[in-house]
Amino acid sequence: MTTNIRHSSSFRDPSGYIFIDEGIVKRRIFPIYFKQYQALKKANIFETLSKAGLLIKHTEVSSSDTEIVIQPEQIPFITYPYEWSFNQYKEAALLTLKLQKYCLENDFSLKDATAFNVAFHNGKAVFVDTLSFDFYQDNSPWRAYKQFITHFLGPLVLAHFHGAQSLKLMSNFIDGIPIKMLSSMLPFKTKLNPFLYSNIHLLAKFEDKHNEDYKGEAKESKLSKKAQLNIITSLYDYIKKLSLKEHSEWGNYYDKTNYTDAAFTEKARIIDNWVTSLNAKSIIDVGGNDGTFVRQINHDFELALVCDIDNNSVDFNHKTLKSNKESNMLPFVLDVLNPSAAVGFENKERQSFIERIAKYAPDVTSALAVIHHMTLSGNVPFEMSAHFFASFSQNLIIEFPKREDSWVQRLLNTKGEFKAHFDFYTIENFENCYLSHFDLIEKRPIEGSHRVMFFLKVKNDK
Amino acid sequence: MYFLYFDPGLGAMIIQAIVAAVAGVLLFSKNLVYKIKLFFGATKSQEDELFDDINIEDSDIENKKSSDD
Repeated sequence: MTTNIRHSSSFRDPSGYIFIDEGIVKRRIFPIYFKQYQALKKANIFETLSKAGLLIKHTEVSSSDTEIVIQPEQIPFITYPYEWSFNQYKEAALLTLKLQKYCLENDFSLKDATAFNVAFHNGKAVFVDTLSFDFYQDNSPWRAYKQFITHFLGPLVLAHFHGAQSLKLMSNFIDGIPIKMLSSMLPFKTKLNPFLYSNIHLLAKFEDKHNEDYKGEAKESKLSKKAQLNIITSLYDYIKKLSLKEHSEWGNYYDKTNYTDAAFTEKARIIDNWVTSLNAKSIIDVGGNDGTFVRQINHDFELALVCDIDNNSVDFNHKTLKSNKESNMLPFVLDVLNPSAAVGFENKERQSFIERIAKYAPDVTSALAVIHHMTLSGNVPFEMSAHFFASFSQNLIIEFPKREDSWVQRLLNTKGEFKAHFDFYTIENFENCYLSHFDLIEKRPIEGSHRVMFFLKVKNDK
Repeated sequence: MYFLYFDPGLGAMIIQAIVAAVAGVLLFSKNLVYKIKLFFGATKSQEDELFDDINIEDSDIENKKSSDD
């Protein structure tokens, strides 16, 4: 017998819901969706799409007259659209369109197109909402069209014109960027582009004009399948070519650090030893840039989460993992000083970063070249950063750049007359604060630099 | 029958006929330009592209099958 506890993010679609049964994510399907489910199963749609890696695999656990229960392949860590880099976002958008085209060709249609239907798993975007498929009704327009525009095209076009930070808007507008606002935020020249004019500006006008038709008296509109396929294909072509205007700094990041090659190699060797001694299966690299360092570690992780505040670094990591076909790397955008909040209904629909990472509990956290930024740019006291790092993983590998380090000097100098307020930034204070939350396993200075590596284990007696 | 659990937007339903017409023209002209370029041998190789084509190829399905087994 399965439990009945509905997952807090699964309530919008009456066809069924997700629940957690002894830690396993399962999906309950109601009779209202049986016809669709059986037809999709019979037409091998689920099978084909999951074999192609586009839809999450599932197995049927039980089936009765009142409910069908399926168990999808489990995804260890979910990242949300507002944590995706530009090209991850593009990948999710293209995946949705690809699915809709395939559906139409097989007389089905996606009944919704929210960005939250997509997750990153095994190095690629995968559609996770098995109940989003419905029958295609002859000559009917795509019901999820507006949702696609406000969830995918809108944020991507905003990012193209205003930078990748625009994607963060999705953390507030979880139902998509309001179409009128979207239209008003785009530069005038987009009105001269027939594609953007029709898909965004004209859509905003039409929605504005018809939003008071509460009686639903307006005639049901018709659209041939060929015409709908034209919309889907043109959206695909446009999004595929969309790029960011800003240029990323990642390319020479590792040239700009104050490391010698020898110090870099030594740092990698120290981490190798520690990670191997733990036999760590999972890691989160906080401030992991484009994943260069995690790739440097000579150890096979089942999953490496690499987060960074810079969308471009995350994007470069995503490109690298795609071209290397790596399946154990999950890059995402995260500002340690303002991690993603819990949003949506009852603040439970989308979980906070802290909640998700504490639940996932990676075997080890690495925080390299991060603490001086947290402490000196973010003004986070050692006590608070120690508490943060101790809250989601049992082990911490942290690099401490001493006051003499050129980066630290640079950050201190920007403080001007308040420089004296940061006199507490010393290795002794760091150790004192961190050792109230952690036990010291090992401490190794990196030769040829002013940096010290710490290997710490959370005190469990607290 | 569709489940109307979110508002698809009436304007958004009506406008799709126009969007589709625009898309049709754009796709047609793009195709034409492509064919002309092809004729003059001026097409770029697509090997360095990060994302594939919209169509799901049979090879996608078969490749996955063998790699997952």
